[in-house]
Amino acid sequence: MLIYLRKRIVSSALPLVVVIVGVFALARMTGNPASLYLPLNATQQMRDDFTARNGLDQPLLVQMADYFGGVLRLDFGQSLRTGQDAAAMALRAFPATLQLAATTMVLAVVLALVVGCWAALKPNGIADRISSFISMAAASIPDFWLAIVGIWIFAITLGWLPTSGVSGASAWVLPIATLLLRPFGVLVQIVRGSMVSALSEPYIKLARSRGAGELRVVTHHALRNAAAPALTVAGDLTVGLVNGAVVVETIFGWPGIGKLMIDSILQRDFAVLQAAVLLTAVAIFALNILIDMGYALLDARVRPVTVKA
Amino acid sequence: MYSSKLPFSAAVLKWPALASVAVLGLSGCTVANTDDGGAAAATDTVRVVLSQEPPTLEACESNLTSTGVVVRSNVTEPLIERNPQSGELEPKLATEWKATSDTEWTLKLREGVNFQDGTPFNAEAAAFTIERAVNSKLGCNVEGYVFGDVDLAVKAVNATTLTVTTPEPDPILPLRLSFLEVVPTSTSSTEKVREPIGTGPYKIDTWDAGQKITLSSWDGYWGDKPAYAKAEYQWRSESSVRAAMVTSGEADVAMGLSPDDNIGDLGVDYPNNETVALRMDANEAPFNDIRVRQAVNFAIDKEGIVSSLYQGKHQVAAQLVPEGIVGHNSELKGWPFDLDKAKSLVAEAKADGVDTSKQISLVVRNAQFPKITELAQVLQEQLTQAGLNVKLKMLETSQQLTYQVRPFPEDEGDVALMIQHGNQAGDAAFTVDQYMLSTGAQSYFSTPEFDAMIKKADAASGDERKKAFEDIFAYQNDKIVQFAHISHQTGILGVAKSVNYTPNSSSGDELRVSEMTPAS
Repeated sequence: MLIYLRKRIVSSALPLVVVIVGVFALARMTGNPASLYLPLNATQQMRDDFTARNGLDQPLLVQMADYFGGVLRLDFGQSLRTGQDAAAMALRAFPATLQLAATTMVLAVVLALVVGCWAALKPNGIADRISSFISMAAASIPDFWLAIVGIWIFAITLGWLPTSGVSGASAWVLPIATLLLRPFGVLVQIVRGSMVSALSEPYIKLARSRGAGELRVVTHHALRNAAAPALTVAGDLTVGLVNGAVVVETIFGWPGIGKLMIDSILQRDFAVLQAAVLLTAVAIFALNILIDMGYALLDARVRPVTVKA
Repeated sequence: MYSSKLPFSAAVLKWPALASVAVLGLSGCTVANTDDGGAAAATDTVRVVLSQEPPTLEACESNLTSTGVVVRSNVTEPLIERNPQSGELEPKLATEWKATSDTEWTLKLREGVNFQDGTPFNAEAAAFTIERAVNSKLGCNVEGYVFGDVDLAVKAVNATTLTVTTPEPDPILPLRLSFLEVVPTSTSSTEKVREPIGTGPYKIDTWDAGQKITLSSWDGYWGDKPAYAKAEYQWRSESSVRAAMVTSGEADVAMGLSPDDNIGDLGVDYPNNETVALRMDANEAPFNDIRVRQAVNFAIDKEGIVSSLYQGKHQVAAQLVPEGIVGHNSELKGWPFDLDKAKSLVAEAKADGVDTSKQISLVVRNAQFPKITELAQVLQEQLTQAGLNVKLKMLETSQQLTYQVRPFPEDEGDVALMIQHGNQAGDAAFTVDQYMLSTGAQSYFSTPEFDAMIKKADAASGDERKKAFEDIFAYQNDKIVQFAHISHQTGILGVAKSVNYTPNSSSGDELRVSEMTPAS
């Protein structure tokens, strides 16, 4: 397993470098940020001073070499906008996103497993039809609309929840509910499809004929074999959330990495953008490795083989 | 037979459920790196929700709206302040000032004032503030906005007397000085400071980055003690959420609301000194013919736009500055909506060889102000009806700024740029020098005669200055026609019933907490 992990880490290094170089180059192709940070009537001298002060007058390769040198020393530079350490800003925002993503995905997976299995037990039955309708609707509702309607109903009309913010347990409800629906809807469809297929396999009939109870059939035989597709999709959905739940973070004032990245793109805050993208990329590579390890646990066929001499 | 009843107990969900509990348990329902100040605010705290987190509270950046709204006259104070209602300059940390020569101003400073770190305010601190903001290499935003390339010679004559000398006569130097927020000499002059020390009624208590800023009333303040012991600032990007926070009692004051936010009688209108207009590039066809630029003015139904898009809250504009700004010409009337006249002017120009079919880019910044997309679409349609070929270009801020500020993009064809201009200073020079002078950072063109009028107005003072700028706005509409003015905007502030506060034209840039009181 260690050899497998080492190989995955090594193979992830190159894409990581490509991401860093790509973000660095693309960000600078969008132009000099001086006009965003100086008054509109700033003189050319002021623009030149700004450009020199921030090292933007250097050739791109020199800037890139400086940046890589900084990355090796874990110095990601300073934010143009706030003057703060870029890495500190990214590290401060990332856990908030991670908490939101993890809680949302765990709840989505749990609910999707329950509803998906329930629907699969009797294809085209009432439960299946209801779950199909709910899951299709959940996967299709735009989160922006849902967030605003959620605030209107639960915060303004009923007064049960805060409109936004991060204060107290109740502040988690609307952001999570908004984020949860789409992964839940998608996962229900996947679980249901996989379970319908698994439950019609000969080994299920064999298990039943041997007197295995319904619970054991579903959990130990069918679900174990049906889980791999759900894990793949859940992994992709989690990656999407870790990348930043921009709409939810923006509407609910959640101080996460998605909002930070969007703001740093719009403000041409290169150092913060680079730090946030690098941190997110590392997290996504780590997540992918975890997902691969999850496959190995679920399915013996994809486990790395250790050959004993 | 399968049953549709759930065939398994909670045992099947053991691991996911445990993981779920673990995630929530580890987080304790507290968002990482945030302060869980969940309880409702005390009655001695006023809660303000802004549209964005201030990038910094640095005093020399306080002309930036997002910074100034927190720091100006709350944490720091200027030497002189402009009364937003009367437009008159009034004493603050300076008690009096006068021109002692063509180029020298002498200021008498207030005694008995201390900074929040206990050090006394004196002429040395005032001189340091000016040197730091205007003459240093810090690159302060206020330097570019107010002083340009001009360096000032500053001298602390004694503890309470300061002289400021300009290279050229500057009749509005006291107005320019009103933009400088005074900081103590202990402030770094080589680096910007995120959390300044000032002489204001509030000092910065905490700044939980990404979440909120808290100011607390400072006992050593030289003036009257403010009614609220604390001011708490949060920020939400969506104006509908800001409005909802006031409606639901989570905030007392919400900035920058839109007419669509349904805040009802909690929404208070105020003139925000912002004007919307189209700026036309006369260096290219078809705008190189004044008749086409006049046609644009006739083709825009300003009354219709104001009544249908902005519920009649804005005022039709005839110039780039609203009433209350020195130099505003109250005699000017907006161009009437006359589509037939617009069409005939375009036809005349075409008959004289102007290529009126050439594409005009209508350049607009996304989300610059409420309903800007709808406004852009209306303008495109109305100019098309007049016989012009208009293509709408909606751009994000950084891209749009390349069209707004010199050097303008080349080989772009003709451009009509939608601008939103706010004159925070109260004097037309801050508008005209940028937008109308041939060398102005945001001006497409001028004429030598017009430039001479502007230079003369800049050097004038008193009634002569006022008249000179009034003439400039009239001349613009008559002979230059670089602009098609649309409307003077009105800001909307959400104010909860628990707070007494009447906004004024400077509230969007400088929200004075000391002017707020709890409703009895």
